[in-house]
Amino acid sequence: MTHLFRLAGPAILATLSLTSDTAFGQGDRRLTAVDVKSATPRPTPRTANGRPDLSGYWKGTTDTKPGGNIGKDLPGWKLPLTPAGEAALQHNLTATVDPEALCIIGGIPRHNASGLPFEILQGANKVAFLYWYSYFRLIPIDPARKHSNDPDPSFFGEEIGRWEGDTLVVDSVGFKGEKVWIDENANPHSDALHVVERWTRPDADHIRVETVIEDPKFYTRPFTYSRTWVLGKADEELQEYSCSENNVNKDHLGFGPGPIRPDGTRGYVDPAPLPTPVPRSPAR
Amino acid sequence: MKIRLFVVTIVAIAGGARLLGHHSFAAQYDSSKAIRLTGALTRVEWTNPHTYFYLDVKDEGGKVVSWGCEAGSPGALSRRGFKRGDLKIGDTIVIDGYRAKDGSHLVDARRVTLSDGRIVSGASSGDGGPQ
Repeated sequence: MTHLFRLAGPAILATLSLTSDTAFGQGDRRLTAVDVKSATPRPTPRTANGRPDLSGYWKGTTDTKPGGNIGKDLPGWKLPLTPAGEAALQHNLTATVDPEALCIIGGIPRHNASGLPFEILQGANKVAFLYWYSYFRLIPIDPARKHSNDPDPSFFGEEIGRWEGDTLVVDSVGFKGEKVWIDENANPHSDALHVVERWTRPDADHIRVETVIEDPKFYTRPFTYSRTWVLGKADEELQEYSCSENNVNKDHLGFGPGPIRPDGTRGYVDPAPLPTPVPRSPAR
Repeated sequence: MKIRLFVVTIVAIAGGARLLGHHSFAAQYDSSKAIRLTGALTRVEWTNPHTYFYLDVKDEGGKVVSWGCEAGSPGALSRRGFKRGDLKIGDTIVIDGYRAKDGSHLVDARRVTLSDGRIVSGASSGDGGPQ
């Protein structure tokens, strides 16, 4: 066995290296935030009006732990739920199917906690965030604009953008309170949700968000969620994705996300191993 | 030969994408119910949010049962080098995966052995399922 490993080890390492860059393309790499950071970072691109240009195809990294958990920056990932929030969580876990799996828009802040890449296209007075599942949000950049008195509830909320120096601040209210999970773990939010995102592009290859999430119905205090993505390659972009084309899952999914592991991610701790791989026939 | 097989398998599994977890693995599948299905390919749905392969599989009594096998999205599989053209109706396919919690004839196809012996990952990585 040792002999086998000695022989196979370099081949495995070489193959894994090949896997990262060639066989599956960078789109499937397990990136870290420093992967594309050089000793001399490339400067932040800027638009004609001098603002940072956030445009690009942005991909998550393995530094975001636990992935899909909006409480990732809190000790023990413990969200400050009110009694009503705890009841809403139990409802989500025991009586609701993941809305996103039913092709309902995930909204904000869930999309910021997703493992899926996204794309930004920035104009002078508006910025578009484009997501897999063919969802998008269009955010006006207008410091004079105020929130409506009674905005129609939506999954992304009523969003208003403004620049504070090199930071794009997006302030959102007017969210839906039904058929929403705030993250992949079925944590809740109510229609009282207020989200403030602060987006920066510190260099050409990274984008970062600092988020303050406030929801006095379900959370005892505001809490934060921060994350960095890395820039995709020039030929990477979103592709057509019709979520409801053939959603067989909707008839088979159970309530809630299933078990949550001690590391804060969804999934089983100790799955049964798959059968031994089929030996490849010498004749093939 | 053994070494080559090992390397191919590592590529197929470790190289799986972490994209497109449309739903939680644990919300639909039972990780204690690993299963191998061997059968003839009868239908391919190269669709979003997941691809599906349907196999005719003989049960212990000799009765032929149609099984649905769920894999990643077309985009995710394609980026791994697993293309629609790799599957032809009538091919004998081996699926290693996990059964649905609801007891239906549906499996999550984590590992697919194609008719030419090539092993590819069918996993919807990023779904929290076994890698």
